[in-house]
Amino acid sequence: MADTSTSLKRKSNPFEKEIKITEKEEEDLFVDAPLDDDDDDDDDVDLEGDSEDEELEEEMTDSEESALSDEESDDDDDHDDSGGDDDDNDVEEKEHFDGDDEQDDEAENTKPKSKGKLTRLTQQLRQRRSHLQTSTKLDNETAPSQLTSTDDNAVKTGAETPTASKVVDEYEFDSSDEEDIRNTVGNIPMEWYDDYPHIGYDVKGQKILRPPKRDELEEFLEKMDNPDYWRTVHDKMTGRDIVLPDEDVALIQRIQDGRYPETTFDPYEPWVDFFTHEKMIHPVTRRPEHKRSFIPSLLEKDKVSKMLHSIRMGWLKPRKEKKDADDRPKFYDIWSNEALVELTKRHHSHIAAPKEKLPGHEESYRPPPEYLPTEEEIKEWKEAHPEDRKMDFIPLTFDCFRKVPAYRDYVRERFERCLDLYLCPRQRKMRVQVQPEDLLPTLPKPKDLQPFPTTQAVVYLGHQSYVRTISVDPTGQWLVSGSDDKTVRFWEVSSGRCMKKLDVDGTVKCVAWCPNTAVCLVAISVEEKVHLINPGLGDKLIVSDTDRLLESYEEPEEVKKSSLVEWTEASEEAKEKGFRLCLKHFKPTKQIAWHGKGDYFGTVVPDGGHSSVLIHQLSKRRSQTPFKKSKGLVQAISFHPSRPYFFVATQRFVRVYNLLKQELSKKLLTNAKWISSIAIHPGGDNVLVSSYDCRLSWFDMDLSVKPYKTLRHHRQAIRQVCYHRRYPLFASSGDDGLVIVCHGQVYNDLLQNAQIVPVKILRGHEVTNSLGVLACEFHPSQPWLFSSGADGTIRLFT
Amino acid sequence: MATDSGISGYGSHLQAKFVTRQERYSVGDSPFSVPASVGIPELSSLINKLLNRDSEDAPAVDFDFLIHGEFLRVALGKHLEENGISTESVVEIEYLEKHPAPQPAGSILHDDWVSSVQTANHRIVTGSYDNAVRIWTQDGENLVVMHYHSDPVKTVAWIQTDDSESLLVSGSMDQTLLIWRWNETTQKHECLHSCRGHAGSVESVAVDQSHTKIASGSMDSMLKVWSAVPGGDDEEIDETHHKKAKTEVHKPRTRTPLRTFDGHSQGISSLVWLDERSLCTASWDHTMQLWDVEQGEHVSTLTGNKVFLSVSYSPHCKLLATGSTDRHIRLWDPRQKDGVLVKSSLTHHHGWVSSVDWSPDNENLLISGSYDKTLKLWDTRSPRAPLYNMSGLDDKIFAVDWSQSELLLCGGADNALHIFKAAEALQAAES
Repeated sequence: MADTSTSLKRKSNPFEKEIKITEKEEEDLFVDAPLDDDDDDDDDVDLEGDSEDEELEEEMTDSEESALSDEESDDDDDHDDSGGDDDDNDVEEKEHFDGDDEQDDEAENTKPKSKGKLTRLTQQLRQRRSHLQTSTKLDNETAPSQLTSTDDNAVKTGAETPTASKVVDEYEFDSSDEEDIRNTVGNIPMEWYDDYPHIGYDVKGQKILRPPKRDELEEFLEKMDNPDYWRTVHDKMTGRDIVLPDEDVALIQRIQDGRYPETTFDPYEPWVDFFTHEKMIHPVTRRPEHKRSFIPSLLEKDKVSKMLHSIRMGWLKPRKEKKDADDRPKFYDIWSNEALVELTKRHHSHIAAPKEKLPGHEESYRPPPEYLPTEEEIKEWKEAHPEDRKMDFIPLTFDCFRKVPAYRDYVRERFERCLDLYLCPRQRKMRVQVQPEDLLPTLPKPKDLQPFPTTQAVVYLGHQSYVRTISVDPTGQWLVSGSDDKTVRFWEVSSGRCMKKLDVDGTVKCVAWCPNTAVCLVAISVEEKVHLINPGLGDKLIVSDTDRLLESYEEPEEVKKSSLVEWTEASEEAKEKGFRLCLKHFKPTKQIAWHGKGDYFGTVVPDGGHSSVLIHQLSKRRSQTPFKKSKGLVQAISFHPSRPYFFVATQRFVRVYNLLKQELSKKLLTNAKWISSIAIHPGGDNVLVSSYDCRLSWFDMDLSVKPYKTLRHHRQAIRQVCYHRRYPLFASSGDDGLVIVCHGQVYNDLLQNAQIVPVKILRGHEVTNSLGVLACEFHPSQPWLFSSGADGTIRLFT
Repeated sequence: MATDSGISGYGSHLQAKFVTRQERYSVGDSPFSVPASVGIPELSSLINKLLNRDSEDAPAVDFDFLIHGEFLRVALGKHLEENGISTESVVEIEYLEKHPAPQPAGSILHDDWVSSVQTANHRIVTGSYDNAVRIWTQDGENLVVMHYHSDPVKTVAWIQTDDSESLLVSGSMDQTLLIWRWNETTQKHECLHSCRGHAGSVESVAVDQSHTKIASGSMDSMLKVWSAVPGGDDEEIDETHHKKAKTEVHKPRTRTPLRTFDGHSQGISSLVWLDERSLCTASWDHTMQLWDVEQGEHVSTLTGNKVFLSVSYSPHCKLLATGSTDRHIRLWDPRQKDGVLVKSSLTHHHGWVSSVDWSPDNENLLISGSYDKTLKLWDTRSPRAPLYNMSGLDDKIFAVDWSQSELLLCGGADNALHIFKAAEALQAAES
């Protein structure tokens, strides 16, 4: 666009008025344009010289004659003689043309002043105005015809003028560049002549006398008398009054009203895009290219030299050429997005339509009679809503295939099939292949969890009836067992030798070896009595120390006798056998649990009501009932191995009491129907609870009061559960005659839960009277397990 | 297995060369082609045929066959396959006269379980759970019953035997060792010393080769060394022991240990002298420890993974044999400090191996008694099967003894001491 503009500018020609106007329109774009134009104008004027001038003069003469007809008769000859003046006049005319707008403005007072913002509208307006001007100048009708010769066709011969006049020329009526030759003073302030009697000079140089000036009264009279006074304007140039014609008045009126001055003007003319942005093959103007456009610009040269200098100085680095990249042939990996295709594949993957149900017997042309509906069925079918029907047809039978009519429901079926396909959810069901093995947690192999008891090594034979309870001494050398045959036996672990046999006067419910290694004592619960026995096994020194300790007891002055328990020393005869003390309870006892230090032990009296748990202190020989209220049938009790906690298992719950604060610390919800025994992990944070409903629950007390894990390996009631003191093992024995050994690793890391892996089922005990293994206990130091059963045997598994 | 044999080729033949160290059975160096399917009887009859031992004056001899130091127990081809021996080259088969089966020579009934037994100079001493120590002849004649222990006798050992006067020591659950003197000619015995100091039942005693020191291991995990020499200055008259004395002949004088070694964490079940100054103790804490008695220090530890019940040392092959609370008999090299300590294990029992004893004169033979009621005679070159299996016992075996080469003894919970007489071992004399 800029290029075309500059070319336009260069080609601008004073003779092409249209272009010139355009130039003015775009004046702000080309600041230097007026200078060029002036030069060009001059050049053109010079070039086109004489022939045109003469014609012009003729025209002017004609117009002058008509214009000045009333005052002076212009002499054609005179006019011709003044050849030197003609050039001047010519120039003046052009200047006048340039400045005529201002004059018009002054005349009409309504014209917008900005020259540079001329629009096409104002251009047309001006045509009319110049016409108006001519009319105000009282031009005759010939003027337009004469003016036609002043346009750019002037170079042509006179014979061609008629053809030119045919063309609608905008200058046809434009006489704005004509000077008012009735007064030749030019465009000067007329005040300069205020002091003179004349107001200028006519063409011949004669003074034009000022017309007599009316005084106020005359003015007033004129105003009163002259009906056209309101449309009379004073022409300072000639000093005459001019009566504006009607059309001029109407024009002024329109301008004042803010309308277009021209009635014929159409503001909504179709737009003609003269200066299109598209590059045309032909230039817009015919003007030849200026020679300057062929020589390099000095400005550019200056810039280039500056850049050259900076390149030479190394300030500007030439751009690196990417030659090698271009030289190499370009390849494209059209399979590069193959992975993406893989990813998006499922979106395009075909989803098969759901399969149609295959036709059954009932759809046969001759179905077996059991498929044929009865009358009632047909009636029912007909009454049912189509959606409620089991089948959407009634089975029919035909004698032979030939009699089968055309299938009536074909179209309907196809339609319904289409509906089905349309409505069927087109989604791919991800079928998950789950192997049952995958659902099982990955447990380490039992082989890697060695050692644990695997085989039966020693059988301790001798008991005649159920061996209900066993206990291993802290050193692991001796074993004590209590049986329903009213005997207590002591065994050597390694050989299976019965070292001692004690007869008691009732079935033995519980035996418990004192955990203190410095004393040698066994507590035995026989009916309502709890005997403390010194078996005389192991270190003789300890045995004698134990006796000395028991004998050294001095009865305190004030004896608070408990009504529930009576402490008595054994008779001499019994002492020979080993009996030392006897605690006679008020009701039969069931279980004995030693505290880890070996001074306290607790007994369970199941029918004892609120005093069903008793705690005895050996050194002071006193008993106490820690609980005032009965919380249920107490099944088992246990001491915490290291901290002052006390576990009481009732029928369904395990309560953990803080002995220091004397308060309930926790209540474990076992979900069991009837708890049979509890075992405390040697670490003290985990509890195993076995129940008669085949359930073995592992509690992590840090975790929750609910079971961390429940094991249901036993088929029948679990009788006892026990932990190993050193190895991560626990075992449970049940009425199904099995002892199940599990690996139960507890981690010090609180984030890691205990790992429980069943490792071995130990068989050996025979189920007698639907009673299996009644007790089990681990060896204190070896990974060995003792179990005693209803078959009267005790077995050691290693 | 049948298919394996089929693959190895029943019917296929392999080249075998028969060698022997028993010169009188030598058959020469020439290799023979024998079928792979042959077993011991076929090979034995082959050798017999080569030796022309079919006739009456030269009765056929049973042979055993060794291939690369291991006894042939199955078909030849299968054995080679199992041991990865090539059948392409000539297989060298060593043969030797089969160890003759020990003959049961009766049982000696006790009143209670027999816990320990040892022979010396054709006299058998047994300890029993009825607190008595008994001395028997080989024929089952009870020479003396010695009562002084108040608890079951767990271990007995001869200190020295003479035709007239003998010394022996017994350890008991009553935490004492008693040193007895027994005069066979006068039929008199007395308890010379009561060695007191243990705090647990004495599980094992052993007398060193010089017959001057007794080592004892107890369940209190202590190893104590006592003087075996009767008399001496360190003796004191025991005042407090009068109650337990059953024989009022002499109150034994109390003897205190020369040295005490504390190193085990659990009871010592068995111990054995390796030589005059070094001891090996086997314990419940799954370790065996070697001690230098002169220096009084611990030498090294052999760690197993089961409770050791018994240990025996053979000066011929310098190996320890152990029985433990599983079914394996393990052979250890006590001189080896690292690496694989277990040289090999003999597995055929299916109960605890309560007692092992090496043959006194053969480096390859040992006997073992187990809780599975069997006594087995082993050749270490046959780890998977014993040479002989002496079953028919009624209960657990607690003790075996092979102190004299012709007497194999075992005692246990069946209240009997079983005597097996080894036939005159021909190869023992010759090899």
